[in-house]
Amino acid sequence: MEPPLTAHGAFALGPVVVTWPVVTTWVIMVFLTLASLGFTRRLALRPGPGQAVLELLVATLDSEIRATIPGDPARFRALIGTLLVFILTANWSSLIPGVEPPTAHLETDAALAFLVFVLSIGWGIREQGLAGWLKGFASPTWAMIPLNLVEQITRNFSLMVRLFGNVMSGVFVIGIVLSLAGLLVPVPLMALDLLTGAVQAYIFATLALVFIGSSVSGHDAQSEKESPHE
Amino acid sequence: MNFDWTTFALQLANVLILLAILRRFLFRPVAGIIARRQAETDAALAAAAQAQEDAKAAAGAARAETEATRAARQEILAKAQGEAETVRAGLLEKARAEAAAVVEKGRDQAARDREADRAAALAQARDLAGAIAARALAGMPRPPDAAGYGTRLATALDALSPDERAAILAGSHLRLAAAEPLTVPEAQAVTAALQTLGIAPDVETDPDLIAGLELRSDTGVVRNSLAHDLDTIAKALADDSAA
Repeated sequence: MEPPLTAHGAFALGPVVVTWPVVTTWVIMVFLTLASLGFTRRLALRPGPGQAVLELLVATLDSEIRATIPGDPARFRALIGTLLVFILTANWSSLIPGVEPPTAHLETDAALAFLVFVLSIGWGIREQGLAGWLKGFASPTWAMIPLNLVEQITRNFSLMVRLFGNVMSGVFVIGIVLSLAGLLVPVPLMALDLLTGAVQAYIFATLALVFIGSSVSGHDAQSEKESPHE
Repeated sequence: MNFDWTTFALQLANVLILLAILRRFLFRPVAGIIARRQAETDAALAAAAQAQEDAKAAAGAARAETEATRAARQEILAKAQGEAETVRAGLLEKARAEAAAVVEKGRDQAARDREADRAAALAQARDLAGAIAARALAGMPRPPDAAGYGTRLATALDALSPDERAAILAGSHLRLAAAEPLTVPEAQAVTAALQTLGIAPDVETDPDLIAGLELRSDTGVVRNSLAHDLDTIAKALADDSAA
């Protein structure tokens, strides 16, 4: 029997098997690209409703980034915004019948968490210098070095697992209820899944911002705002 | 549970590509339009602030111009006042000069009038003197000597009532007053004139009589002198002027 969490292959390009989460991600990418082009094609100083929503999104992102990391928010806007928009879209893609959200598969979440992990290290070194960034691991005392090293891994691992667990559980619950109860019974659960998906997207983006902020500003400067959202 | 590293790698690449796409086509344009609007807002605010500054500067310039106008007005007023003062002083001086000329002219006229009055008074006095002299001469005896006055005295006594004449002649200290001592011929002539009355009074001298003879006693006087005639004429003239 095949494990239920296994990503099924959609097609193969030679030796490379392309799984459905990847295909779904491509579709989401195309959708987001077209939506972006459509929304930003006619930007005006006097915004319409769609442009106002986009400007609200960008302004909120900038505000959140500015509240977490001092300086120009444009440095992190694209990353945090992309994480938020992609995860939200991916989570809500489960509303389409027959579509499994890519974030319900561990590889996608791992890729997102890995990206945050790598970029937080890179931005930390760029902002503080290698010595400064390494010195941050000895904060507040040298005795904290092992714990801070482990924290670098575990916090990104928790980022991955949190998203994966929440989205995957929702998909599983809906699938189980659908198989047991019938066609319309899962609808309330799907509505709840919408809320869960939005909350998880916000949490992932916010935690990514906090992690990057702590890396950029030093380990003492930022206290991890991670809270028990699970 | 399997972990598909190929899917992981593809998803990582997908996220990076999506990151680039959204950065290029979503976040950058939207942030750009926000920044543009903010820039235009800032420019509008700056323009408004500049306009406010310009307005303040214009108000300051207007105040300065008002002050300058006020100062110029004060200067013009002071100048006009000075000129008016000069003109007034000139006119006053001219008026004083004219007044002085008028006064001088008036004084000259008054002097001329006084001279004319004096001349008229002199003429009137001359006429008066002529009239007095004429009237005095008219009452003076012919010839105007002691004998003549003796005759006139006798005539005057005759003109008195008998009671008055008797009272005067009966009075004690009967004497004859003359203006100057009588010469012998004059005394004889007078005695002859009074002989008709039967009296021979003592003769005394009274220069106040000017000329003439008066018969005096303790009971009365018979006036017969030029001084009395002049007093009578002056009194008559005074009565004429009063009338």
